[in-house]
Amino acid sequence: MRTRISEFDRLFGSMDLLRNRMNRLFADFDRLYGGDLQGMWREDYPPTNLYDFGDRLEIRAMVPGLNREDLNVKIQGNYLEINGTRKSDAPEGYEAHRVERPTATFSRSFTLPCDVDADRVEAHMKNGMLTLIMPKPEAAKPKQIAIS
Amino acid sequence: MNDTKDVVERKEELQERRPDVPVVPPAVDIYENDDEILLYADMPGVEKDGINVNIDNGRLTLSGTRRMEASGAANWEEFGEVEYRRVFSVPQTIDMDKVNAELKDGVLRLHLPKSEAAKPKQIEIKTA
Repeated sequence: MRTRISEFDRLFGSMDLLRNRMNRLFADFDRLYGGDLQGMWREDYPPTNLYDFGDRLEIRAMVPGLNREDLNVKIQGNYLEINGTRKSDAPEGYEAHRVERPTATFSRSFTLPCDVDADRVEAHMKNGMLTLIMPKPEAAKPKQIAIS
Repeated sequence: MNDTKDVVERKEELQERRPDVPVVPPAVDIYENDDEILLYADMPGVEKDGINVNIDNGRLTLSGTRRMEASGAANWEEFGEVEYRRVFSVPQTIDMDKVNAELKDGVLRLHLPKSEAAKPKQIEIKTA
């Protein structure tokens, strides 16, 4: 009887081991491909962050290898559209061993949480990041209410 | 019996390294001509100071960390701080002293010049 129990014990033990291995495998996969997918096959390219500063909205978009001429930004009310083309920057006269960096045309549109003053929007490019500073119109700014 | 138990119930001893920022491999392009190997790596948002290029014993380690300054209330965030890191094997024929790198628009361009001895040579044929 004792031997039977130890058999079961061993069986479950090795199943635990397998489960641990699988969990590790999935965690590795997530780390590799989940956090920072850059491929343009994703529909939501470029990846963006949107921040609200009270008097303005700021959007940051990850656009490595693009410069000002490659990008187009359109704003109307609370609608924002970013489109552009990532051209190949392959050097002339070189043999390519590996090409992972994508080249494509992309377009992405957003509905902002409030209207922005399109005339006063500023756009900056730095280190492959696009920053759009979008001031809110007076009506959309938060107001301090005095309590009487 | 105790022996078998030890074998199957051995705990996983490898400690997972948990860095404070996630580590991802950057997308790279690699080109080569007679004079050099040229490597392009996408590292958006990484400052020049945050980049490390290390060649040791035929292994080229490329790493760059993107830091994000604290800012307003986030409505959505699709990317964050990250460490781009990737290791390559480089041939012995690279002239280590002449390796140079430039950073432009979030793309790192690494020039790995070949040493003189490794460059192809035109052999002149003399007529007797």
